[in-house]
Amino acid sequence: MVLLDPTTIIDILLIGLSGTLICLAVHFIPVGGAPAAMAQATGIGTGTVELAAGSGLVGLITSSYMYAYEPSADVYLVMAAGAMGAAIMLASTMLAGGLIYAYGVAVPFASAQVKKDPITGERQDIYVSKGTQGQGIPTICFVSGVVGAALGGAGGGLIYFVLMGYYTPLITTHAAAVAGVFTMGVFYVNSVIPSYGVGGTIEGVHDPKFKRVVPKDVFTSAIVSMLCGIIAIMIAGGMT
Amino acid sequence: MVLDLTMSMAVLALLGALATIAGCLEDLESDVGSQSNPNSQVQLAPQMGFLHRIFNKAISGEPISNGMSAVTGGVVTTVLLNAKFYPLTAIVIGAFIAAVIYGIFATTSYAGRVASQTRFKQPLYMDIMRYTTPSIIAHNFIVCFCLVSIAYIQYAVLGYPFTIPFLALIWGISVGAIGSSVGDVHYGGEREFQNREFGCGLNTALSGRIVRRAESGLRNSIDNVWFCAKFGGPATGIGLGLTVFFSSWPTTIWGYTWKAMIVGVIILAVMTIMNRLVEINVKNAYGPYKEDKEEKEAVSVAHTH
Repeated sequence: MVLLDPTTIIDILLIGLSGTLICLAVHFIPVGGAPAAMAQATGIGTGTVELAAGSGLVGLITSSYMYAYEPSADVYLVMAAGAMGAAIMLASTMLAGGLIYAYGVAVPFASAQVKKDPITGERQDIYVSKGTQGQGIPTICFVSGVVGAALGGAGGGLIYFVLMGYYTPLITTHAAAVAGVFTMGVFYVNSVIPSYGVGGTIEGVHDPKFKRVVPKDVFTSAIVSMLCGIIAIMIAGGMT
Repeated sequence: MVLDLTMSMAVLALLGALATIAGCLEDLESDVGSQSNPNSQVQLAPQMGFLHRIFNKAISGEPISNGMSAVTGGVVTTVLLNAKFYPLTAIVIGAFIAAVIYGIFATTSYAGRVASQTRFKQPLYMDIMRYTTPSIIAHNFIVCFCLVSIAYIQYAVLGYPFTIPFLALIWGISVGAIGSSVGDVHYGGEREFQNREFGCGLNTALSGRIVRRAESGLRNSIDNVWFCAKFGGPATGIGLGLTVFFSSWPTTIWGYTWKAMIVGVIILAVMTIMNRLVEINVKNAYGPYKEDKEEKEAVSVAHTH
């Protein structure tokens, strides 16, 4: 049985770990959903899946390029490349989004979940506009989002690294395509799981929801991601 | 590194410029067709008794619909390249076919959504469909052209390991994610609700009460895109342009090393500081909305003594 080979088991566990990392990462990203798009809630005005997958896939492009052109690149460097790409994508998005909140809609950035910003120490509650759940992207949300995107990008880089190591001996020329598509699939699976946990919106690491839902979501993700890992290894059965 | 440094920087600058145009036009396309989160208000308005003349598309979430469009363009381009077409011709034809398919989705989506609102008496305006759909197709054509061009350059010139359709799909998803996060706020938070007081968030009680009168006559989606082109679109372009440029710039200059990663961290720190400066600036300009209770008590105590 190919699945019982120790190297294969390690690969499956690594894919499980990467998926869990992506799932954890999504909780760090300040997702405001539809209310944030109307400046009714704190965070970025779109859904978890859009943001996590969008940033993670940019990380996949940077990590795959690193893997292709640096033969001596170890797993940590490939993961760092993924983390950098994803974090820069999300930081650019939040910066441009912040400009719209500040100068297009004209709302001060405020979190509705904490009284004071843990990083800047600035009061938040007095800046929450009437009838809203906070608005914009305060510093704590920005930093939390950057950390989350970096974790997600690193997870994506790790899956890509593991799968390339597994597929390259079997299908030399098309290994990148299969590994890339599979990594994308794992991204989507692990972006959807937190959506149920957080109920569509979360402000980031300081949100009380974070502590409440992370253990359950991470446990679910670990199981689902390992299942993805088993499938990734099983589809290689026909590659000769 | 495949190219020398000067050429690499030139290619990177071209990619950044293409991404900026793609980001800008993607957001404007989502405004003229009314897609993503702000469209929930366009959908809600007739249920609250506010009939309107705004296009109501929302094929799906923006990343998915743009990813679909870009991957269609990428596939057609790849087929034409294999048939020995010139790259530019192949990309133009690929983008055109993708945009027309996108236009078909837009019309069926508009007709379907309005048909489902019959009980709220929302009419399906044929003139709106006739005038707006070509605009949606035109915007999407430019987005597709830029994204497939980026994918082609990355695949053929820079030698990325992924194929043109896959790269186009990833950039389509990314441009949708950025457009949905950045430019849509300008459409949903400001343009749809210009009836609220400027300088505060949108009160939940206003949900569905979108502005229906334009600067002249009744407002339609062409009026909305005119407004959003002033700020929402360009800001989205800056978002995607920065992403494409800065995700590759450190490795282009410093190679595939840890030094490049450290430079990436410095870029992130600079962006965080810029966001903080914007936060300070806007907090001084608007708000606070509520008086600080502790301060108020302290003042009243001081007065009684």
